[in-house]
Amino acid sequence: MLGYLLKRLIQMTLVLWVVSVIVFLMMSFTGDPVFMVVPIDASDAEIAQARRLLGLDDSLPVQYWKFLTSLLQGDFGRSYVFRQPAMTLILERMPATVELVLVAMALAIAVAIPLGVYAGANPQSRISRVIMAGSLLGISLPGFWIGMVLIYLFAVHWGIFPSSGRGDTVEIFGIRLSILTWDGWTHIVLPAVTLSLATMAIILRITRAGMMEVGRQDFMKFARAKGATRGDVLYKHGLKNALIPVVTIFGLQLGDLIAFATITETIFSWPGMGKLLIDSIYRADRPVIVVYLMLVALIFVVINFLVDVIYMLIDPRIRLK
Amino acid sequence: MKHTPKAALRTGVLSATVLALTAGLAVAQEKSVTIGLTADPSHLYPLAGEELSSNIMYYHLYDPLVKRSPDLTFGPGLAESWENVDETTWRFKLREGVTFHNGNAFTADDVVFTVEKARESIRPDLVANIASITAVDDLTVEITTPAPYAVLPNDLAELLILDEDYTTETGDEQMDLQPMGTGPYMLEEWIKEERLVLTAFDDYWAGEPTIDQVTFRPITNPATRTAALLTGEVDVIQDLSVRDVERVKSEEGFKVLTRPSLLNVVLAMDTRAESPTIEGENPMTDQRVREAIARAIDVDAINQIVMNGLATPSDQFVPSSHIGYVDGMNFREMYPLDIEKAQELMAEAGYADGFTMTLDATNDRYVNDAQIAQALASMLAKINIDLQLNIMPKSNFWGYIRVPTEQSSFIMSGWDVPAGDAGSMYGALFYTRDKKEGYGQVNRGSYSNPEVDALVDQADATPSIEERDRILQEATRLLLADIPMIPVHYEQDIYAAREGVSLTPRVDKFIWAYDMDVE
Repeated sequence: MLGYLLKRLIQMTLVLWVVSVIVFLMMSFTGDPVFMVVPIDASDAEIAQARRLLGLDDSLPVQYWKFLTSLLQGDFGRSYVFRQPAMTLILERMPATVELVLVAMALAIAVAIPLGVYAGANPQSRISRVIMAGSLLGISLPGFWIGMVLIYLFAVHWGIFPSSGRGDTVEIFGIRLSILTWDGWTHIVLPAVTLSLATMAIILRITRAGMMEVGRQDFMKFARAKGATRGDVLYKHGLKNALIPVVTIFGLQLGDLIAFATITETIFSWPGMGKLLIDSIYRADRPVIVVYLMLVALIFVVINFLVDVIYMLIDPRIRLK
Repeated sequence: MKHTPKAALRTGVLSATVLALTAGLAVAQEKSVTIGLTADPSHLYPLAGEELSSNIMYYHLYDPLVKRSPDLTFGPGLAESWENVDETTWRFKLREGVTFHNGNAFTADDVVFTVEKARESIRPDLVANIASITAVDDLTVEITTPAPYAVLPNDLAELLILDEDYTTETGDEQMDLQPMGTGPYMLEEWIKEERLVLTAFDDYWAGEPTIDQVTFRPITNPATRTAALLTGEVDVIQDLSVRDVERVKSEEGFKVLTRPSLLNVVLAMDTRAESPTIEGENPMTDQRVREAIARAIDVDAINQIVMNGLATPSDQFVPSSHIGYVDGMNFREMYPLDIEKAQELMAEAGYADGFTMTLDATNDRYVNDAQIAQALASMLAKINIDLQLNIMPKSNFWGYIRVPTEQSSFIMSGWDVPAGDAGSMYGALFYTRDKKEGYGQVNRGSYSNPEVDALVDQADATPSIEERDRILQEATRLLLADIPMIPVHYEQDIYAAREGVSLTPRVDKFIWAYDMDVE
């Protein structure tokens, strides 16, 4: 286990380093950030001064070296646009995103697993076909379209939910949460539903496939023969054995949604960090992009590690090496 | 409106009314307004950078010495009055009894500090025309300019005064989060990307604001912004999407407000003998070719088809409110759409068969910019100009087209002069390049006309506004005849509000709650 952890740690460091190099190289093609900051009629002297203030007067390798050395001292650099520490900018927006994603994922599981088990156990039934058709819609309809339709119907037309924003929040240990207030819940419903649909559809389809596969195994018949109820057979024997791919996909989707919930956040003006990434790309704000993508890489590494641990819990035959 | 979501009920209006009633007092109702902006401000510290959302916040939190009215007239702000001591020396008498939000008195030292601070910041352009500044006494400052400069007060309308003690103590980075000015509103709360709440500064020198609380919400997606207005979550929205205009107009209880903006979309033509994207010699050195291009462009069609009628074709390089505008002169009447005439001009110049060149344009900076570029390509095809399009996001654009403009022949960009004066624009865009420091730095077409240079020099050497106006008008006449650049149109600013909100859109787009009222 210790060896495994160490190996993972080395892998992670390598991944983070590669991400930082790629982003630095990429950013040399996306235009000069200094022109995003100075007025368009700035004189050469004014531009030189801005360049100096932003630390852009060094060559790219020197900038990268400075970035690496201050990184090792815990300084992640400053946004060119906001002139604030890049890490602070990301972290202050992160709780909103994580909260939204967790609600969306919980919703996705709560709906997808039972429906998937049902459709897998009764592949021929009419309801199963309706579920599968619905899941196809969930995969193929784009999020921004669903978001706009939900806003139009539930906010503008029926007035049940507000159209945008995060609503009232409660602060706990310095982290602001909206799921602890009623107003917060009314705000989170529409974006969470929008965000969850695609994941819901994928998990549903994988659960169904797994259940169909497992259903053909002998131990399922034996379980039924030894007198387990149908529900027990499906959920305890069947689902548990079908769960490994579901957990894998769940982990990947979780990371993906936390990192790139951008579109849903933009549509619902959800004050999360995905919008920061897009804005930063438009503004060529390299420090924020680098730190953001490194953080995303870290999130993926951690989630995959947790997924591996969960494998062990689900199937004791699996060992981490 | 049938449905009122809880969000609207939450706002201060109701709770304040309830409070007032329970207290049994006949106090005036607390007024509040919620404004949906297109983006969250990047800064609250005026010397950290500028973009529209930040500018809107700055003018709520801080004051300049000279105040710019919604229609670009300039009057006393923190300075009560000013006079020219000699051609290059100005004396500003400051307002007495003004305090910052923290109670510190506003004095001449704060003004001197602000100017010096700006010089070291990322915005030295704010004080480019100030050679020196001294505090004569507590409430008088003396400013000298490098040369006679008639429009110094207009420039000062953009310099927002900082509290010396507080700013020094707080530091640049924290100033962005804890602003402190003399403006009509104070920062109450700023939750990034969610809302920024301002409360009235009761001791404001020009009188207590009518609206007690202003909430700004950044709603980037245009359709969501419209929805938030229609559901009552916000009272006013900035930048109503063109396709939602009819929808909002038809809805009971809402209104749409429009105003031509200052942003003139212009086409710069290269006038060098050889141009980067044109093979052989550059036809656009010939005024007739430039005129032909101007006549081939159907600005009305662009307005109707691309802009949904929500643009104002430009008559000159600056709007009529500006110094240097010539009454009665109209580029559109001088060079109306006339393909035959344009073809004749091309033939006279020896280019009946046309030529090929590339237009550089943005796709995320101006309203429908990429579509305008496409329309231009098909219009110029009629006079045999094969226009290739090179369209890119603005993060690449400004560096790409930057003087010395080694990659461009034909550029679409926008220009606005909120200082209300054509001089700075002519100096930057049309003055011969590399001739004088601070002039011609954005002259992307490499235009050079000694007469224009001389007029700009004269304008920048007179301390009299009338004289400056006369000289710049002459420059305008010259430029409209010579066509170094084709003015296309002014974009329209579109706002929407619920009935009961009184809002007069400002020419400079800076929504200002101090001038607003709500019922």
